[in-house]
Amino acid sequence: MRPSRYNTIILSLALLFTVPACTKLDVPPMNVVQDDDIFGSPNGIASYMARLYGQLPIQDFRYTPRRGFNEFWIIDPFPTITGEALSANQSSAETEAVYYWGNAYALIRDINYFIKTLPTYMEASRFSQEDVDHWLGEAYFMRAVTYFELAKRYGGVPIVDEVLNFPEQPIEQLQVPRSSEEATYNHIAADFDQAWELLPESNQTGRANKYAAAGFKSRAMLFGGSIAKYNEITLFDNENSRLCGIPAERAADFFKQAYDAAKLLEGHYSLYKNGWQADDKEAQYQNYVDLFFDEESPENIFVKQYGYPESVHGYDVYNIPYQFQVAGYSSSVNPTLDFVELFDGLPKTSDGRIEVYDAAGKYELYDNQMDFFADAEPRLRATIIFPGDQLKNETVEIWRGIYTGDVAGGIDRLQPVGARTTYENSSAASRLVTSAVPQQEPHELPDGTLMNPAGRSGRFFNFAAPALTGFSVRKWLNPDMPPALVVENRSDQTWIELRYAEVLLNRAEAAYELAEAGEGGADYLGDAYECIRQIQERAGADILPSPAALTSIDIIRKERRKELSFENKIWWDLKRWRIMDDEQNGRTYRALMPFYAENAEKWFFDDRFEERNAIFTFDTRWYYQQIDPGEITKSPNLVQNPGY
Amino acid sequence: MLNDYSNHQRLHLTTKKQKNKQMKAKKIITYVLSGLLCTGLFSCQKLDNYAPPSETLQGRVIDKATKAPIQTEMGDRGIRLRLLELSWSDNPTPYFFTCMQDGTFNNTKIFKGNYNVVPQGPFVPLILRDGNGDIITDESQTVDIEGVTDLTFEVEPFLNVEWVGEPVLNDNGSITVQVRVTRGTANPDFQQDVTEIALFINSSSYYVGDNNYDNRYTVRITGTEANGSVGEVVTLTTQDSFSMNRDYYVRVGARIDYNVEGAQRFNYNEPKKVAIL
Repeated sequence: MRPSRYNTIILSLALLFTVPACTKLDVPPMNVVQDDDIFGSPNGIASYMARLYGQLPIQDFRYTPRRGFNEFWIIDPFPTITGEALSANQSSAETEAVYYWGNAYALIRDINYFIKTLPTYMEASRFSQEDVDHWLGEAYFMRAVTYFELAKRYGGVPIVDEVLNFPEQPIEQLQVPRSSEEATYNHIAADFDQAWELLPESNQTGRANKYAAAGFKSRAMLFGGSIAKYNEITLFDNENSRLCGIPAERAADFFKQAYDAAKLLEGHYSLYKNGWQADDKEAQYQNYVDLFFDEESPENIFVKQYGYPESVHGYDVYNIPYQFQVAGYSSSVNPTLDFVELFDGLPKTSDGRIEVYDAAGKYELYDNQMDFFADAEPRLRATIIFPGDQLKNETVEIWRGIYTGDVAGGIDRLQPVGARTTYENSSAASRLVTSAVPQQEPHELPDGTLMNPAGRSGRFFNFAAPALTGFSVRKWLNPDMPPALVVENRSDQTWIELRYAEVLLNRAEAAYELAEAGEGGADYLGDAYECIRQIQERAGADILPSPAALTSIDIIRKERRKELSFENKIWWDLKRWRIMDDEQNGRTYRALMPFYAENAEKWFFDDRFEERNAIFTFDTRWYYQQIDPGEITKSPNLVQNPGY
Repeated sequence: MLNDYSNHQRLHLTTKKQKNKQMKAKKIITYVLSGLLCTGLFSCQKLDNYAPPSETLQGRVIDKATKAPIQTEMGDRGIRLRLLELSWSDNPTPYFFTCMQDGTFNNTKIFKGNYNVVPQGPFVPLILRDGNGDIITDESQTVDIEGVTDLTFEVEPFLNVEWVGEPVLNDNGSITVQVRVTRGTANPDFQQDVTEIALFINSSSYYVGDNNYDNRYTVRITGTEANGSVGEVVTLTTQDSFSMNRDYYVRVGARIDYNVEGAQRFNYNEPKKVAIL
């Protein structure tokens, strides 16, 4: 064969492959989404927004202080470290165990990138000014929310308002030092204000409108004002910038901003009262249950939606009373008696503690368990499950044991006041029949009928979780979910992150603080009273008679602890009031244990320290959480919080 | 006979198998050895380019008035020392280590260098700032740490806790102690209310305190009752009744409403052993 033929073939092959390749070598990678894809169309923007909202730090059904945001296994949520409730998985005071830092700045970077890039695409993509404003408003809203989550954890944090580039920028420029706590709150306020200017009146459900921005601003400014007024911890950096603590003279200004922001929502939202009727406790109870499930509620300002099967959580499975358990979990949140005592309509002693004895010091006897709670505030009944109340058309059976002793002349205290030993280890043991575990032998009553020594939902003395405190949580539990479907990753009820009741409470608290500081300009005390009155009326609680009766900030705080319980807000409130260390100083929470006296055929209740004797002591260092030591090693400009 | 034969056969087979196995094993050994050589040869340079830290910083934190060491608890809610190594940076990341229970400290693994050292604990802070963050007093010490460096810090504790008499063991399995809590400093900025006086008890360790106690028996007085007890003889009895089959260690701590580095820290008296056995 002649070599020239080979040459021809090789040459033509070379031409064949190289000539078409001559157009361009520098093409964007096909497997990476480009700016043009995102900023070229409203759909692209929607997908970017979905990602931002998905990462927004919302402490909802998928948050726990031990695991952080967007987790699934939520058996030790916030209420179990605030004293609202106890969990078998939680036996001491704790703070958040994960560092919310890196994820926050990743989100802030994505937001900053959006704010920087969107305007450059406005013409090419033919976006209207209105749309661009709305989207930018959402971005500012989310940036403020994220900075607020950082500030309430760490105090002053580095403020990054533009996109930082590495390796284009030298490392020194990227090691942004912490701003003062005051400047951080000022920045949060400015972002919320900008969001208020840009956002529309209404938006798709789950996305922020301008009232969400105002409502969140009232929350954040109230936090800042509380820090200025109540915080005692200070930290300065080398430039004398105050990283922890806000000068006390700023308190009134922050409270004023909180008040003004809360007031912006007036007339646009209202408390949910669709099924509410005056003087009808049953209707008020049902109304309060429904408020968490009505998607059209006029009270919902900002929500996070779920939908089976794409986006789910497990609130029902982790918190259902034991008798409904099908998936291996139940009863993670057991409200404490200390919490229950905050509410009205229960038999109480003069110092506000629950009263289970009669005048002679013997146990008060009741025909039915629910008789004890007959006059209870409807809001309490909608918040927790009482022993003997109904759930899913079934009676929730909660009792500790059967009292077999003599009842003539009344029943004496089973144990002295303040006892910490279990009933089984006490001298009362011989007069009681109890059960260690849910698999129990029925006990024969004097009339020959059989009765379980403990209720089907607890409490069992060797199996602490079910009805640990004698109660179970009801708030957020889906009343219509068939018991067989109460399994993990099956719940999809909406989380209401901000509802109008909180805005009213923010307004009342800010107003009271302003009145106390002697600020003029409005009838702050009267306004605080009116907000509290509305909340109390809807709840079916005892209503304060007049503004003059509003004599202490504690009245407003108590109302807040009742209304917003189990909504993952109370932890932050106790922290910003700087009372968490008083609340939890060697504290053991209390329980209410129902017993059936078989010879009297009646029920009685025993008030006692919960039997595990878990002791809660809050470490004051936790008022400012530890910054991730890994981040400290990355930047010498990042000063650690005190005590770590 | 038949049996014997089959046995022989089997034996033969096994030896063959074993030989195969041996050959395989040899191959594996070769691979492993060559692998080791490859990695070993390349890592033969040097273990580390720095000498390990070997300087010692030791000393004690003592009461300015009595010159007695400040009693504390172990861990970072007791007394901790903050070291700033100034040899290479004006703004270094601080390094912390903690005092022992008796107020002394000893760290034998410090890098040689120039350090600013300050203890932080239940006493008037040695570095005080005013409301603007300006430093008004600074009694920290800046030293070159080399060989064995010994430092003494004189401080004013918030409170003094002294034993009054010996702990008394009661028949029902409890212990009664008497203590007197007095102010340890005259500094007007540090006369906050006493928030808590606590009798800590531990059944296994001399290291007893807020960091290590048995919560079944420990008692506390708080609030106005605690604040009203300053200067008085306070009698404290452990709660409940404990097993009489072991020895116990007791100690009383008291604290004021002032946060040092974020925490209200306890002043203590010396732990005492209550012998039962």
